[in-house]
Amino acid sequence: MARNIRFREALREAMIEEMERDERVFLMGEEVGHYQGAYKVSEGMLDKFGEKRVIDTPIAEGGFAGIGIGAAMVGLRPIIEFMTWNFSAVAFDQILNNAAKLRQMSGGQFNCPIVFRGPNASAKQVGSQHSHAMEHFYATVPGLKVVAPAYPSDAKGLMKAAIRDDNPVLVMESETLYSVKGEVADDLDVIPLGRANVVRQGKDVTIVAYSRMTHVAMDAAAQLEKEGISAEVVDLRSLRPLDEDTILDSVEKTHRCVVVHEGWPYGGVGAEVADRVQRLAFDALDAPILRVTTLDVPMPYNAKLEQLCIPQPDRVVAAVKRVVYRGQA
Amino acid sequence: MAKILDMPKLSPTMEEGILTSWHKKEGDTVNVDDLLAEVETDKATMEFRAFDKGVLLKLLVADGAEVKLGQPVAILGNAGEDVSALLAQVGGGAAPAAKAAPAQESDAQASDAQAEKSGETGASGEKPAAAAAAQASAPAQASAPAQDTSAQAAAAAPAPSGKSQPRERGSLLDRTEREGAPRARSASSSNGPRASEGGRVFASPYVRRAARERGIDLQGAQGSGPGGRIVAKDLETIASGAAAHPGASPAGEGAQANGHAVKPASPAGPASPAAPATPGLAQPEAHPLSMMRKTIARRLSESKKNVPHFYLTIDVEVEKLVAFREQINRDLEASAAKAKTEEKPPKISVNDLLVKACAVALARVPECNAQFTPEAILVHKRIDISVAVAVSEGLVTPVVRNADQKSVTAISSEIRELAGRAKAKKLKAEEMLDGTFSISNLGMFGIDSFSAVINPPEGAILAVGQVREEPIVRDGQIVAGKKLAMTLSCDHRVIDGAIGAKFLAELRSLLEHPIRIVTG
Repeated sequence: MARNIRFREALREAMIEEMERDERVFLMGEEVGHYQGAYKVSEGMLDKFGEKRVIDTPIAEGGFAGIGIGAAMVGLRPIIEFMTWNFSAVAFDQILNNAAKLRQMSGGQFNCPIVFRGPNASAKQVGSQHSHAMEHFYATVPGLKVVAPAYPSDAKGLMKAAIRDDNPVLVMESETLYSVKGEVADDLDVIPLGRANVVRQGKDVTIVAYSRMTHVAMDAAAQLEKEGISAEVVDLRSLRPLDEDTILDSVEKTHRCVVVHEGWPYGGVGAEVADRVQRLAFDALDAPILRVTTLDVPMPYNAKLEQLCIPQPDRVVAAVKRVVYRGQA
Repeated sequence: MAKILDMPKLSPTMEEGILTSWHKKEGDTVNVDDLLAEVETDKATMEFRAFDKGVLLKLLVADGAEVKLGQPVAILGNAGEDVSALLAQVGGGAAPAAKAAPAQESDAQASDAQAEKSGETGASGEKPAAAAAAQASAPAQASAPAQDTSAQAAAAAPAPSGKSQPRERGSLLDRTEREGAPRARSASSSNGPRASEGGRVFASPYVRRAARERGIDLQGAQGSGPGGRIVAKDLETIASGAAAHPGASPAGEGAQANGHAVKPASPAGPASPAAPATPGLAQPEAHPLSMMRKTIARRLSESKKNVPHFYLTIDVEVEKLVAFREQINRDLEASAAKAKTEEKPPKISVNDLLVKACAVALARVPECNAQFTPEAILVHKRIDISVAVAVSEGLVTPVVRNADQKSVTAISSEIRELAGRAKAKKLKAEEMLDGTFSISNLGMFGIDSFSAVINPPEGAILAVGQVREEPIVRDGQIVAGKKLAMTLSCDHRVIDGAIGAKFLAELRSLLEHPIRIVTG
């Protein structure tokens, strides 16, 4: 049996189930307790688990990220919520220099089983300092794992896997997806990290996306279908480790690839995917790999400019048409 | 007000052209009729001239690019004008774009600042992100940004040093989502990029692999991708030995395009000659297809495959016609001598008389001056005769308009002038468009008779051979005579046998009594 639940509920279920399963798991962050979560992801969890396991913190990302990392080093399994991943920049030193490196630098004497989670990338007019996609800053770091689900079912399965993983795992959510509904199987357990998912079959082009952009890619694919172009959509789900095989299998079939993401173009996830595809499937390519990304500027506050900066289905359609050599869009 | 310049139709059958070279650069002032660029079409290398004056704010395609008909190639406007909205439009929807290369950078910035202060908006009622984003790459303005303006997006990038423009200064979108035009490979020839130059095959990695696996020879093949890149969809065409013609699907042939004259030869052969099956045999030489050759191949294949041809042949006695022609030429010489003109008097050819005769015959049998459309037969009220002219790369068909209303001498000088410009590749598109009937004459090449391929969308074409001296039986006596064989190829959807025969009978009557050609 499956239930149709919202993305935020799927995340909450995952955390509750894991906290019930393992008493070492706890949640910590700004507004996670008494306020029931800035985006109501942790609604009801304070009542359920009490103040020792659902901990409200001051506005001090560097501080509570550091506390979490210390707790993980000594055997607890913290979930740290950032109100937005943009604010994680304050904790970047802790995540990069401690969480990611402790295991290697301690010669395996310490693990760091910690989850960092929160909304990432754009929302609606929250300004430049709250709107950027931070995933590729972290996906470049060995020692971290980064996931970015697009559907409630994946959110639940990946969150459970993240909590059980002995390494630091960053769960990139999307404020605009929290209310999105989807089928979640009653018996859903863990979805392994590092596995992409082909969410739409097609033969002419592979569109690689993740998080909210998977939905944009699906809209574009529906539009393209009306024009006789069959697009396959690969939802990465996991950015590090990156599921090369699923991407390459698809490109081997379609011979063309467009990557869509909300990060900036320079050195983004799209660049990583494009590099791997051209390196590992060069002979499968019939066209250059194109990227559709947020534009190379700080996010404008103005609503229309914001929409112009963020990838929209029509931009994906235009990129696909270029790689399938259909007109000069 | 800035506007987009699209690739114009520079030849009747043009669906795309290679913009071989820009004659103006960004920032240049342009006056009406200034030469903007040269474009190699299927017919010739044509001049692309300006219809408006202004400053060339942005070039949207590079030298050597293959450009589809109607595709935006440049933006023309006032110096320093903000073209981001137009660029966004060109970029396909919400594509932001950079400001055009300003004639004077300082002006451009001033106007930008001006626009900001006055709250000037773009096409969408909002100043497009493009402009905003573009400002990021422009030196920051001192003006205080008003709220909700694009300035919020500004000033991310450092100011460019000095005045020099970076080589590629496209929009934000250009820099990430566009595939640039292929970079120039070797010196671009006047023929534009080719799929294989100097032995190098220009094909996508997948195509190379597939060709290797399937034993397809790509050498000499022409691709439909950017710059002639051979892409997957060209493979089947190449494998089947037909020429891959550029462009996606051919534009519908409405009542618009008049094409090529017809050639008795078979349409173009394989673009990629197959390697000889017997080892040790010499490889054939591959001649890359010119735009004209590709068009001949495509249009005539379409015509021969899709138009139900049938042929009617007559042999006309033309002693009187030949004598009449000689008489006219003697008269012209005498008039010139009398007028003491320096110039050599023009000479009328048999073909000139034929054009006029056909025009008169068509006026009498208008059913042959018609074309087929799925909805109706269009019977033309004008008699515009396309005359096939052989040029170095193939054939073109300049049109003699209202031939029924012109004198033979006028037709003659017009054909001479048109043919001269056709050979020099100087014909304008409209001079080759919208004929209603074609004549193809191979008499001068010693051909007795042949059947021509109809020139769509026309309904018929007359193939004319040479004047032959032959014995003729007249009143039971064998006498020396002159004959001319002509074959009318008819589109059976438009013209039935009886109608074609009626036209030919009319034509025969005119040619055998040539005075009627000029007296009507």
